[in-house]
Amino acid sequence: MCGIAGVMYRGSDKAFSTGEALIRMLDGCQHRGPDSTGFALYAPETSGRLKLRFFIDPESDADDDVAIDAIRQRLVDLGAAIEEEARAGDNYRVTILYDGDVQKLSYEMEHAAKVISIGTSLEIVKDVGSAHDVDDRYHVNQFHGTHGLGHVRLATESDVKPEASHPFWATGFADVAIVHNGQITNYWKMRRRLEQRGFEFTTDNDSELIAVYLADKLAQGVKLQDALSTSIDDLDGTFSFLVSTGDEIGYAKDRLAAKPMIMYEDDDLVAIASEEVSLNRLFPGKALNTREPAPGTYATWSRSI
Amino acid sequence: MVSIDLAELSVRDANAQLRTLGEAGEAVEILNPDARHHIGVGLTAPINVNVQGSAGYFCAGLTDQARFHVSHNVGWGVGDNMYSGSVVVGGNAGAIPGVAIRGAEIVIKGNMGSRAGQVMKAGTLCCAGNANFMAGYMMYGGRIIILGDSGERVGEDMSSGEIFVAGNVQDLGSDAMLTDIDSKELQSVYEFLDRYGIKAPKGFSKIVNAGKKLRYGTPETPMRSIPFNTFSGDSAYWNPKVQEDITVKAQSGRYRIRGYGGARPLPHLSDIGFRKDLTQAGADRDVVSTVQMATEIGGINGARPLKLSMPVMIAPMSYGALSRSTKYAIAMGSAMSGIAENTGEGGMSDAQRDAAGQLIFQCLGGRLGWNIHDMRRADALEIYISQGAKPGLGGQLMAKKVTPELAEIRGIPSGIDLRSPSRHPDILGADDLVIKVEEFREATGYEVPVSVKLGAGRIRDDIKIATKDGFDFVELDGMQGSTGAGSAEVIDNVGIPTLPAIIEAIEALEEIDARDKIQLVLMGGLRDGVDAVKALCLGADAVAFGTSVIVAGGCISCMQCHIGQCVTGIATQDPEHEKRYQPEVEASNIHRFLESVRWQIAAITRGLGYDDVTSLNRDDLVALTPEAADITGLPYEPPMADTAQGQVGVTS
Repeated sequence: MCGIAGVMYRGSDKAFSTGEALIRMLDGCQHRGPDSTGFALYAPETSGRLKLRFFIDPESDADDDVAIDAIRQRLVDLGAAIEEEARAGDNYRVTILYDGDVQKLSYEMEHAAKVISIGTSLEIVKDVGSAHDVDDRYHVNQFHGTHGLGHVRLATESDVKPEASHPFWATGFADVAIVHNGQITNYWKMRRRLEQRGFEFTTDNDSELIAVYLADKLAQGVKLQDALSTSIDDLDGTFSFLVSTGDEIGYAKDRLAAKPMIMYEDDDLVAIASEEVSLNRLFPGKALNTREPAPGTYATWSRSI
Repeated sequence: MVSIDLAELSVRDANAQLRTLGEAGEAVEILNPDARHHIGVGLTAPINVNVQGSAGYFCAGLTDQARFHVSHNVGWGVGDNMYSGSVVVGGNAGAIPGVAIRGAEIVIKGNMGSRAGQVMKAGTLCCAGNANFMAGYMMYGGRIIILGDSGERVGEDMSSGEIFVAGNVQDLGSDAMLTDIDSKELQSVYEFLDRYGIKAPKGFSKIVNAGKKLRYGTPETPMRSIPFNTFSGDSAYWNPKVQEDITVKAQSGRYRIRGYGGARPLPHLSDIGFRKDLTQAGADRDVVSTVQMATEIGGINGARPLKLSMPVMIAPMSYGALSRSTKYAIAMGSAMSGIAENTGEGGMSDAQRDAAGQLIFQCLGGRLGWNIHDMRRADALEIYISQGAKPGLGGQLMAKKVTPELAEIRGIPSGIDLRSPSRHPDILGADDLVIKVEEFREATGYEVPVSVKLGAGRIRDDIKIATKDGFDFVELDGMQGSTGAGSAEVIDNVGIPTLPAIIEAIEALEEIDARDKIQLVLMGGLRDGVDAVKALCLGADAVAFGTSVIVAGGCISCMQCHIGQCVTGIATQDPEHEKRYQPEVEASNIHRFLESVRWQIAAITRGLGYDDVTSLNRDDLVALTPEAADITGLPYEPPMADTAQGQVGVTS
């Protein structure tokens, strides 16, 4: 019930900022999901610092400082030093110095507040409304970076709420994000397997499952492309998804190809989307030599190549 | 040549211009298409259209006669349902190129996506590159020419037609086989390639239907004549129906196929009653003139609404399951009562169109009988997703009913056991559906309401999707709905009953604050005006009758619908049987039944203290059983059962 998009610049983002590129691509396929829009944005790593984003309930009365104070306190308790902080829309964004276990920090923070993302290079921005609505609130177009993912959602199974929007962060693992179009039918089986190994899930959304599944493999030292390869066998259902890490972007597509995906690649960038109309938004007036990934395939692109 | 620049104009405005230019016979070039969807949809003039760049989904869809040339790529469903005319694509095509074409020529110079030519009926789909999996899936006719490799499972469940592959045939689909090519066929293929300037390869493999799955090994056994009321079995455990089930299975060795609705007791509208004492509701014989009943359906998003004289319409039933005469009689009867008829699956006949005052045209996954010209003369369009009697399943029309005339209107070979697919080729999710709805609107200039028929399943999600995808109304069909032929096990055991269906639908809409964003038509075992009023009280905007209209129009409920030898001439295509049916007489019977419904609706509405059916509401109802109270949340008041149910009909 959605449209997905991803872009990776081989050098610096040129014609459009990474944020602007994703806004354009998502605006092109907003018909696939009018309810909410989200972005996973990657900027070059700032060594040792973690960027955290939280939802702050806009309904909460008086000063939201109460909620923010609680987050601050929790971070300090866990041994983090706060370097920078800011309110952005309904988000609280904080940069910390932290050298402990990220998974422990993630779970502790999840218990204390609504975490949107944690990463050294990743930040997720997502909210209800269109790509332009979200941009108006969070100034996504000003985001310069290296790569990113985007998602438009038509809400069916859960409510139209910012926290039910996509992309999803791989809870507990820094810098892994996913956008997914489709439905994983062996969700509970896969989730229970991961839960038995101590992983926590903050939603019942199947996209979060794919993110954690892949992040777990990566943490074990498996290459992203090999994790994508096994995902096609392990995940049951219809899916076209994009995944990104601090320096890679990749896709996987199920064998039935029930969910569309199309890609374009040149010397400057790689762009993948649900529909060609999104790719064309990066190149107005130009007929593109696009390629449709075959059913049951995957691929990755790396910044280092 | 006239230029239309999509950098400056929306596709909607561009298509409107295209149609005008088409009438004037002007050739057109489309600039800056940038892979936008629906380019050229609904064009029915013999002009040339040059798309300079890439087009998105459904390029040239629902068209006739035009000749399209796209310089680069196309998205899903190029040439969808195209009658005559052609599309040449310079680059690659996405999934389902040439879906449901009925005579067009589609040429892809590059590669093409999966399920090419799905449910195509006639014409040629040619790909100079490689095909992806399941080319020719469920095709009913025409030919596919693939110069590269076939892809996996080529010809999967094709019924007829031919697939020619010059490259490697990777593997054959279910019920497909390789066969020899005769020189005449080969010559025709070479002529086609020559006409489109494509270099001819040395030779081809030819793939056709193997004929192993088109018919059952044993035919369905006729049943003893056990009328539906007996058939339902009531309370007896080993009842006549159970006995007959076992006997028939002992002959055929498989599940049973039959018509009609479920034969087991389920919570239904009869389990709720009216709060007020309605014993005097029928006292005023002219009550009809005192109650406002006229209802508009389908206009909430700006389309031209159906104008019903009362909140009632005819449920979708196909010409195929029913005889032409029956569909004609229903059309006449509905017009006499000022309500809307529905084509069901299988196309629209001229007689039906002319007789029906207002006609809803239904589109199913097989696209049988679906075409742009009949869309244009319909009063509403309806995308069928599923039906209450057999949610999620496709259909089957026994070979005996697939006469040459019926095959002609559906665009298929006659005499096959016709499989109607359970899924649409181009609707695999809510996101695809939104693009499909838009295609229908483009094809009909945004003037005709578009509805969705939903068998009750995951109602909460489905209703929300229907609303978000921009439908004007939903026809919601509960488990008590009937079918022309379905697996008896499914009919009796699968589905969500009509009563919880409407409750959940209304709840879902209230959850997303969208009750005014879509209209609801409830169907599924509604029998009379009493049921209709209860449905309206629960929140439906209108109701639809199927089985009761058939019964009013002469059905004796003998339960032989699936055999094709209906003695009343209703559920048959056999001219000897059909000639017993007197459409004019039965139309009057149907009309009188509908007028009794009108009278009941008026009398009860009046009896409840209103002069307008839109005033009916939940507070007028009580639950007569604990189950119904639980399902509906209505107060459980069993003592009202006698007065609420009994008297209204008697005095009419």
